[in-house]
Parts: sequence; structure tokens; C-alpha cells
Amino acid sequence: MTAPTRTPAPYRSALHPARAGFGRLMRAEWTKFWTVRAWLLVLGMAAVVVVGISQMGASGSVTGGGPPIVLGPGGEVVNDSFRFTHRSLTGDGTLTVRVTGLKSNDGEALEPWAKAGIIVKSSLKQGSAYAAVVATPGHGVRMQWDFTHDTAGPSSDLGKAPQWLRLKRLGGKLTGYASVDGEKWTQLGEVGVGGLGRTVQVGLLLGTPDHEVVQRSFGGTSARSGRTTVTGTFDHLTLQGTSTGAGWTSTDIGAAGADDPNAGNVPPNTTQVSPTGTYTLTGQGDIAPQENSPDLVQMGFQGVFVGLLFMTALGTLFVSTEYKRGLIRTTFTATPSRLKVLAAKATVIAAITFTTGLLATAVGFTWAQRTLRSNGFKPPEFPDLSLLENPSLRAVVGSAALLSLVAVLALSIGVVLRNSAGTIATVVVLVVLPQILSFAFPLPAAQWLLRVTPAAAFAIEQGKKYYPQVQHNCLPENGCYPLTPYNGLAVLVAYTLAALLLAAWTVRRRDA
Amino acid sequence: MRWLGSLHAEWTKLRTLPSTWWLLAATVVLTAALGAAAASSVTTRICPTPCNADTTKLTLSGVQLSQAICLVLGALSIGAEYSTGTIRTTLTAMPGRWRVLTSKAAVLSLLTAVAGAVGVLSSLGLARLILPTPPDGALLRPATGSILILVLVTLLGLSLATLLRDTAGSITLGLGILYVVPILSHLVNSPTWQHRLQRWAPMPAGLSIQATKNLGALAIAPWPGLGVLAAYAVGLLGAGGVWFRLRDA
Repeated sequence: MTAPTRTPAPYRSALHPARAGFGRLMRAEWTKFWTVRAWLLVLGMAAVVVVGISQMGASGSVTGGGPPIVLGPGGEVVNDSFRFTHRSLTGDGTLTVRVTGLKSNDGEALEPWAKAGIIVKSSLKQGSAYAAVVATPGHGVRMQWDFTHDTAGPSSDLGKAPQWLRLKRLGGKLTGYASVDGEKWTQLGEVGVGGLGRTVQVGLLLGTPDHEVVQRSFGGTSARSGRTTVTGTFDHLTLQGTSTGAGWTSTDIGAAGADDPNAGNVPPNTTQVSPTGTYTLTGQGDIAPQENSPDLVQMGFQGVFVGLLFMTALGTLFVSTEYKRGLIRTTFTATPSRLKVLAAKATVIAAITFTTGLLATAVGFTWAQRTLRSNGFKPPEFPDLSLLENPSLRAVVGSAALLSLVAVLALSIGVVLRNSAGTIATVVVLVVLPQILSFAFPLPAAQWLLRVTPAAAFAIEQGKKYYPQVQHNCLPENGCYPLTPYNGLAVLVAYTLAALLLAAWTVRRRDA
Repeated sequence: MRWLGSLHAEWTKLRTLPSTWWLLAATVVLTAALGAAAASSVTTRICPTPCNADTTKLTLSGVQLSQAICLVLGALSIGAEYSTGTIRTTLTAMPGRWRVLTSKAAVLSLLTAVAGAVGVLSSLGLARLILPTPPDGALLRPATGSILILVLVTLLGLSLATLLRDTAGSITLGLGILYVVPILSHLVNSPTWQHRLQRWAPMPAGLSIQATKNLGALAIAPWPGLGVLAAYAVGLLGAGGVWFRLRDA
């Protein structure tokens, strides 16, 4: 008979196996990160470089001595110059006209945003509040008010049939109508325009934006803009309401003064009235937001291009050194669930790079703004930007997100490639090279590159609003990105997610 | 004889690594592929006959991608020796450190030059088929210049890795020089800094060798531009050699 042997009960962890402490896993990864002194150094250098390069770019930018600017009712910089055949209107009233033609005087094609129509404007002063209904050659009938607002009307073509336009004033409310026959009217919109006095100026508007020719010989860009003149014909002009003025008078709003060197080149604008009531106007200029001023927000983020190199290196090394030294086997022995390890690694590196990036972009942006102020970028043309308001907030947080997404992208590609050299080169080529090629490629190809590659994400640094009612050439070398800020960042998010999925798939499938 | 021996040793080390051949093949393919893609983005609308745009430079833009691969090739050739410890065997067998470094540089230059020549010539050939108007003017300078860019970038990778003794660090630094500086030279809002960077930073300066038109607008003339890149590569290689001699492996 043998004595009963006692076997000790095997050790079992008290934690539920399915939830074996993701928090602890994160802590393990965090420990792996902060105990490598070189990585902390790289992280610190990334922050210093983001701030330093942004500062370098800002301190070299100087402005001043440009032409005087015109501010719209909302405080934005605007163009406000056009041929105005007008009379005063006191109280309520309705202005109706038929636009019969619009043609260019220079033999060039009409600008798509040339405008012939009617306007109710608070005064003859540049930048004063207004509402207008205009017919355009390229964009149909529009109702526009206070420079920044624009609503589309019927997309009829002035070249084929005349267009009836009507603008009704009722106190501070203006209603625009369009019609093809003068009997059936379509309402375009009813808008409240602030700042209209009891007596306003109403009448015919004619203008055309400058004709811009961009010569872009793949790298060397020269933009030339020339003033063009258009002729518009109107008839059936009627004004119902109280007008104190003697009749229709004409003014060139924003006309070049006698001291303007360009004034001599421009033929004088005219307004002719035929006995049958046909008004023939020649005019130039535009009534729209002005988009030529530099993007003050974007100018504070040039260091991000350099910072992302460091973030790429960190994201890569965070996983590739584990493979190189064999630590990955220890990691997987301790936590057999590989997806969890990947998730913990991605979370930790994302959090670290985002926090550092946010600190760096916030400091870099604020400091760069201060430098730009002292270099002449002053209100009112460049209003003060608050860090806690869009677009500054979006750009600061977005750039930090960009840096952190690049680190996660590098981590994921590092899991797939398992070596640092290939990973770093791949990520940098993916994120940075398209930007360089976009300077050198023909414009359609360049814009395509900035739409489909992760370089699209740099759009998040843009602070300038591009209005659809202004024709502009989006040139990469001017810092313009074809996608809107959020959509651009979303492209990088998509790349990162795809890389993470690929990493998850390979890390499960392969031996370590 | 000793020189031949060390050259042969370096050749064997490079030859027997699969990654060398992968990287060289990628250099050829990517140079030609990106060049062809760039050429096919030119339409007659953008570039009517006679075309004022520099289509030669555009067809050679594949170099801007494959230079990253050459950098990796150069950096790995000594960085991998440091990370695996082969460097100690190498130096035991060949104690002359200058000789080791120059043999490495010579073998790498030769390999890159051959791969670069194949890539550059194929992109020029493809461009002739694709472009609506084939590039005119002298092709010799941009073509040889592009091959030299690839060789010099490989040497840059080698010297950075010799200095830092770390592949990841040297590649990050090298890519910064190759890619980030050119971006800043375009997007920094300060004209003074733009001019400085385009003139004195290795990459925008080196790439000016590819220009065939509108040379007056360049910040630095073609051959002096390549000279700037060469000065960086050779200077860093010299510095790397000095450190290599002074330090323990």
C-alpha cells in the first residue's frame, strides 16, 4: 500500500483569460518605450524640430507695402470694384431687368465668373453690404450677398436666351428671383442683409474677374493676371419704389485713382442708353472675396514635415527592434494573443506621438504667429488667430494627429516588413515623396497625387477658406491642396487602417 | 593585390545578400516606372508643340524615388555589418580601415552606376514612346547626371551609416536630406531661405543637373549643383572614414 502523494494545485491566474489585462499590456509597452533613452531623445528632438523649423519659416516671411485692402462686412478681405449704373432707393422697392448679352472686349473667352445683373448696395463705398442677382457665363444665375455668400439659381445660358432678374427689398430683407420670360418667376433666396440704411443704391452691376494665366513649366511657375473688360446689354429696366435721384447715374466702384500707374492702360468704362431703353455697359473688376493673401495658419506648420521623419523612425523602431533582438518572442510568450499586442503597441505609440506632437504644434504655431505679427502680418488683413478656435485649432490638433498617424502607419508596416531600413524608407516615400513630385508634375497629375496618397493629409494645415464662387488655381507650390482639410486627413487615416489590418493579418499568420 | 583582395571580399559580401539584388532591381524598375508614369501625365493640352516644359527633367523624375532605395543600399552595406557584428570579422581579416571603406564605396558605386544606367536609359526610352513630343536637346548631361546622383546618394547612405553605426538612424537622416529639405525649399514662406536651401542643400542642388530648359531660373547651375551633392557625399565619407579609423568597431 502506497502513501497517497500530494500534488500541489497548478498556478492559475486570478484574471479572466479573455480579459488578461489590456491595461497591463499597455503598461508593458509603455515601459518598453520609456526605458530606451535614445527613443526619448528622438521624441524630444521631434518636438524641438517642429517648433524650430516652423519658427525659421515664420521669421523669414515679411509682408507689407501691398495695395490698400478692402474689407467686407464680415471683416474679410474682398474685391469690390465693378461698373455700377445706379440710383437711390428709399424704403422698399423692386428692381427688375432683362440681361440680353454679355461678351468679352479683348477677344479672350469670357471668365466663368463674369457677372451681369442687378444689385442693392448700402452705399457706393467699397466693401459695403449688398445683395445681388447676377447672370454668369459659366455658372448660371446666382444670388450673392455680402461677398462670401452665394446661392445657385437656374443654370441657364446667357448666350442662348436672355435672362430676367428681379431683386425685391423689404426692410432688411432681400429676395432674388429669376425668370426666362418675365412672367413666371423662380425665387432664388430670401436673405437678411445687415447694415442697409433706409436709402440704398440700386442698379445694374457689370464686372469680370481678372484673367489669370498660369504658366507652369513643371516646377517653375509664373502666374500672370490681366484685367479684362466685358460688355453687358440690359433692357426692360424698371424700379418700383421711391427714388429721390434724378435718374440713372454711373459709377466705377473701386476705380483706379489718378495716382494709380495702371490707370492709363485701362480704357474708360461707359454706360450708353438707347432710345428704346437698352443699356449697354462696359466694365471690369469683381465683387467677391479675395483669395490672394497668404495662408497665415499654414505658415506656422512647416516643421511638421521634418517632425514626421522622427515619428516614422519611432513607430518603426518600436516594433522592428523587437524582431531584431528577439524580444518579440518573449512578448508573445507573455501575451499569446498577438492582436492584443499589436493593439497595445499601436495605442501606446499613438498616444505618445500625439501628445508630443500636440505640444509641439501648439507651441510652434503660437510662437510662429507672434513672429509673423512682428513681420508685418497684422490685422485687419490678417486677423488675430485664436489657438482655441477653428481653423487654428483644427490645424494644430490635426497636425498632431497627422504625426501620430504616421507613427502608427510606420508601426504597422514595420510589423509586416520586420526590418527598420525598408519600413522607414517605405513610409517616408509614401508620405513625403508625392509632395515633392507634385511640384514637378503637370498640374492634373500633381493634384491627383495629392488626392490619393497619404500626402493629402497635409491639407489639415490649411487655414484659408476657398470660396466656390471664386475661380482659383490650386497650385501645390503655393501650399494649396485639392482636398478639404478633413478629407485630406481621412486619406491618411484610410492608409493607416489598411496597414493596421494587413499587420494584424500577417502577425497572426506568421511565426515570430 | 591587397586591394584586389579587399574589393573581392566586399563584392562577395554584397553579392551573396539577396537584399542587394532586390534593391538594385527595385532601383531599375522604380526609376523606369515612375519616369514612364510622369511622361504619360503629359498631354498635348499641357504641352503643345513646341513644348516649353522640361520634359526631359520630368521623365527623369523616377530618380527621386529610386534614390531612396540607393540610400538604403548604401546604409545597409555597413549598417548591417554593425548590427550583426560582422564588422569585427571584417576588420580582423582586413585591418586597413580606409581600405575597407574605399573598397565598399567602390563596389557599391559600380553596382549602383550599372543599375542606375539601366533605369535611366529605360526611362528615357519609354519616354520617347510615350511623350507626344519627344524630348529634344542634349540628353547626355541629364542622363549621366541622374546616374551620378544615384551613385552619390548610395555613398551618402554609406557615409551616414559609417558615422552613426546604425541603419535606422542613418536612413532617417538621409531621407530627411533627400526629401524633407526639398519640400521646405518650396514651401517655406521666406524667399531668402528658399534660395539658400535650393543652392546649398544637397538634394535640390543635385537635381538641378536634370534641367534642360530655362537654366537661367535655376538657383544653382547644373554641374555646380551636382558638385554640391558630391561635396556632401564625399565630405561625409571622409568624415566617416576618420571616425571609422578612430573608433572601436
